[in-house]
Amino acid sequence: MLRIIDIMFAIVYIVVVDGGTKMPYREKTAWLSLLAMVVTFGPYFALVATRALPSEPSPNLRQLGLFAVTAIVEMLILGVGHLYLRHRSTQEARMPLDERDQVIMRRSLSSAYYVLIAGMILVGCVMPFNSSGWSIINAALFMIIAAEVVHYGVVVFSYRRQA
Amino acid sequence: MMKGSISNRIRILRFHGGEMSQAELGERIGVTRQTIAAIESGKYSPSLEAAFRIAHAFNVPLDEVFQWDENAPQLK
Repeated sequence: MLRIIDIMFAIVYIVVVDGGTKMPYREKTAWLSLLAMVVTFGPYFALVATRALPSEPSPNLRQLGLFAVTAIVEMLILGVGHLYLRHRSTQEARMPLDERDQVIMRRSLSSAYYVLIAGMILVGCVMPFNSSGWSIINAALFMIIAAEVVHYGVVVFSYRRQA
Repeated sequence: MMKGSISNRIRILRFHGGEMSQAELGERIGVTRQTIAAIESGKYSPSLEAAFRIAHAFNVPLDEVFQWDENAPQLK
């Protein structure tokens, strides 16, 4: 757990301080999205997978509550982060995507699409035979988040290697 | 396997153009400074339109900016 926190601080440092002047705005926003997902959905899936939630008379409410808190925290991190990054690089943030940004965007979205499709096939066609209820919903959610991680991961990777 | 890749003389042309900055060139052709840096270092091949815009910004023909280098390793 401490190692994860160290990595997160390192990412924040790279995005906000060290790479503040050199890193493209769109790479910074991709790092922010990755960070927000790790910080929020990491603990969410850890709790769900280890079944650390206490059993209650209304498990649906408990699950929905946990999901709502996770989603709200993620939105808060993204909102504050985007405002901060926009404030620091106002001119770059206003510029429309140039052709290289568009190439990177297309590449990242097509990579994420394959992850999402594979995940949805698994969740929709395989899981109903041996799972039910929240297991399927959480698996679908996991695949969506995995696809998003791939999307932003490819964006960051592409900007890092300048391709 | 196909060999060869596009090389360019943007750095030299910027130098001859009064040490024009990457940001300035980017602004002229409508791309970011990072995209100019990526093109200049040969890590990104621009579209034909952007290539013509760059040549136009330096007021030179296209083949004075970009050349096909038969022996260079291909971009991945």
